[in-house]
Amino acid sequence: MDFERFLKDLQGIVGAENVVYHSDDLLVFEYDGSVDRGMPEAVVFPNSTQEVSRVIALSHKAGVPVVGRGTGTGLSGGAIAPPGGIQVAFPRMNHILEVDTENRLALVEPGVINLNLDTHVRKFGLRYAPDPSSQKACSLGGNIAENAGGPHCLAYGTTTNHVLGMEVVLEDGAVVNLGSLARETVGYDLRGVFTGSEGTFGIATKIAVRLLPVPEAVRTFLGIFPDVETACTAVSAVIEHGIVPAALEMIDALTIQAVQKVTDAGYPDDAGAVLLIELEGLQDEVDEIGDEVEAALWETGASQVHTAEAAAEREQLWVGRKGALGALGSIAPNYFLVDGVVPRTQLAPVLGRVADVSRKYNIPIANVFHAGDGNLHPCLLFDERQPGALDKIVEAGTEVLQICVDAGGTLTGEHGVGLEKKEQMPLVFSEDDMAAMVLVRDAFAPDNSMNPGKIFPDGKKHTPHAHPPAHGMPA
Amino acid sequence: MESSLGEQLARLLGGSAVLPGDGYEVDGLTPQAVVRPVDRLQLAEILKWASSEGVGLLPRGGGTRTGLGNVPRKADVVLDMGAFNRVLDYQPADMTATVEAGMTLASLQEHLAPGGEFVPLEAAQASRSTVGGILSVGAGGPLSYAYGLPREWLIGIGVMSTQGVSTKAGGKVVKNVTGYDLNKLYTGSLGTLGVIVEASFKLLPNNPHSGMLLASFPTLAASISAGRKLLHSPAAPMGCHSVTSGVSRRLQDSVQAASQDLGLSEEDTALTFAFYSGRAQATRRRMEEAAALLLAEGANAVQRIDDSASNGMLRWLTDAPAEINPNSVLVIKVSVQSKSSARTSAECGEILISGEKPEQMADPGFGSIRLLWPSSTEGAAEVELPILDAVQQTRQIASRYSGSAVVERCPLSVKRQIDVWGDAPDSLAVMRSIKDRFDPNGILNPGRFLGGI
Repeated sequence: MDFERFLKDLQGIVGAENVVYHSDDLLVFEYDGSVDRGMPEAVVFPNSTQEVSRVIALSHKAGVPVVGRGTGTGLSGGAIAPPGGIQVAFPRMNHILEVDTENRLALVEPGVINLNLDTHVRKFGLRYAPDPSSQKACSLGGNIAENAGGPHCLAYGTTTNHVLGMEVVLEDGAVVNLGSLARETVGYDLRGVFTGSEGTFGIATKIAVRLLPVPEAVRTFLGIFPDVETACTAVSAVIEHGIVPAALEMIDALTIQAVQKVTDAGYPDDAGAVLLIELEGLQDEVDEIGDEVEAALWETGASQVHTAEAAAEREQLWVGRKGALGALGSIAPNYFLVDGVVPRTQLAPVLGRVADVSRKYNIPIANVFHAGDGNLHPCLLFDERQPGALDKIVEAGTEVLQICVDAGGTLTGEHGVGLEKKEQMPLVFSEDDMAAMVLVRDAFAPDNSMNPGKIFPDGKKHTPHAHPPAHGMPA
Repeated sequence: MESSLGEQLARLLGGSAVLPGDGYEVDGLTPQAVVRPVDRLQLAEILKWASSEGVGLLPRGGGTRTGLGNVPRKADVVLDMGAFNRVLDYQPADMTATVEAGMTLASLQEHLAPGGEFVPLEAAQASRSTVGGILSVGAGGPLSYAYGLPREWLIGIGVMSTQGVSTKAGGKVVKNVTGYDLNKLYTGSLGTLGVIVEASFKLLPNNPHSGMLLASFPTLAASISAGRKLLHSPAAPMGCHSVTSGVSRRLQDSVQAASQDLGLSEEDTALTFAFYSGRAQATRRRMEEAAALLLAEGANAVQRIDDSASNGMLRWLTDAPAEINPNSVLVIKVSVQSKSSARTSAECGEILISGEKPEQMADPGFGSIRLLWPSSTEGAAEVELPILDAVQQTRQIASRYSGSAVVERCPLSVKRQIDVWGDAPDSLAVMRSIKDRFDPNGILNPGRFLGGI
């Protein structure tokens, strides 16, 4: 292929100012929030669905693979360019097209930042519920690709439960609508299977999402516990009361130490685990359930319980949890985050086995996790400058995933498989299971030119690069 | 001469697994045999055989929705999944359960009740409707506004492919992005892509208290408009429904049989149902506010109905479409943007068949409206054109409000002339391509789905 010609044609579609191809300019597009890297041949910033369609059709004809890129906060390498491929990024398509308060839905372009949508619709007493911790930076298009979660998906579900419909561009440039503005549609639920397909089916160019009313009352509880096991019994006690909180989050002793060094979270020095619970609903409901939650925390062995309802005070209780990943930098220069999920009742035993891995490999592991839905985030701490450190980390990380799978869990709760975990897919899925999945991809993208090389094992060794904690903003 | 399909199956599995197809008629077609596999091995054998012989298989759960879908191109053998009826795993503390597809919804809920939990699936005739059938149809019920559709609760699935290969997707954890979310693809696919063998669900804790308000309104339009106001108020219910007088008269008959007095006067023409559940105090407060709102919006009267009576009413409303259908010449379920519920209802309400308006069951929060035209005394041939015309008009109205209109019941002669699912969306080519790859020999429910899939 004549690449110069291809570039000229791209420029012809989106304008010269919207194509980046000099190697210096491409550096920032080489990585996302994961440990993988790959230099795209070019990055294109389209202005419209039509431009996206023409760019993809042109690339398809030229045999150039395409990956959609949101804002590069992904944690599994999903937005890393395939070899010889280009990225389509959406800084120009970042408009909230419509907020329909009567229908409680918003129509957005893929480049809209998650938090900007939420902030915007709160003016109308509404909210966009999925809240990945990177929500200040991540885009709705990326959220769709990864089926992003967040602390509040315990009660409200993940992105897939909030997407009504979308306009997508397929690999031949065809523009197709999936789902609709009505809650029920006819035919196969293509918008459901597209969500979480990690960019391998096509690229969403317009998205309709559900909005929910802002709850009347929100109350946050912070419990200090001697250790993670005790805090896990508090989680069980809350659930046994028939309570499904809006969020149920935990950090362990090592994370607490890191947080204490860099924030003013104000935890006691001997804290072994911090449990955060958030209730939302009607005021009298929150009052009644809140008393039960508080009692459960004390009964199961909390040494301190703090509660807050005012937004600023609640924010203060969240400081430690939200700053946890960044704070790990005070302990080690790098971390490798594992996104395994286990049934909720397996949390305590699995964390025990994760501690065994930590001892076996002599790697400190800090745990920050969504306790309510069993989504662990063990962070393996290391220094990439030590020879062989990264290989050891990847090996230990795989062992942690095996522990999750053995406990009835799976590889990833919200970060996606991407490049990072594709070779581990056989831990969970048989050849036949994966073959069925590939049939769906073949229907959307028969030539497999949308984000190829992701999700499914191909024997190509994963060659991670370390990055400092400042990059990571996992949920 | 070649042996019959029943004989071939009997050779494959043994005679006890095969029955004659009489009484299993679908859209006027009587299958040659009914086969009831007892395990995955047998199921795999059946699918391999059907694929190699090009036999049209109709998977069947409780048989409560066999009228749904287009007339099958082939209806050779009914595949009865009734033997797959066990709970495979239930951990109350995990709030998840894994069950086989042939289990009925009622027995699943019974199994979960001691754990203080339930699965938020809704289906008419819960004692017959099976998990696999409910997933295949993919529809919700009166509380869809709060719970959404089955797609929101399915976290893992085991499917036997048309080639007789066991496959799975998802898992047993409540949050999972490992691999493609095929749960969504199979849910609502009307059994056209594979045979659902088992399913894992996310559960909810039982609500300690439930109740409902029943309000009568002079018109359906007033009832829907009040419902919309209620749904957007702080006293919003979990589900809100408006029904016409014909439907409310049936309710009256049904509860009078249970010797309850609803206190409805003769001239009441429409009813609003508003369902609540949660903690006692908060529920009580919301219901008080809601009752005041409904009266202010023009209700003739509002009754508060508590706990078991309200659960009975919810069951009645869940079952109502199935009960009313046999007395209807045409039933269409319209799904539109929720804000367009009132207009859709008003416009569709003017469509006449033999001079009769449709009865309506509207869910103005979810945006779905069932239109039920009463059976006429005229012969089938006389009403055929008016029915086709009513379908056409309803579709035009639905599409005006970004929606769809699915014909759930109509005379066979009409069904043969239409696609009951409506006009194909622009994604039909992708849907067809998925079907061709999952079912290359076209054996599963051939022709019954959208666009003849």
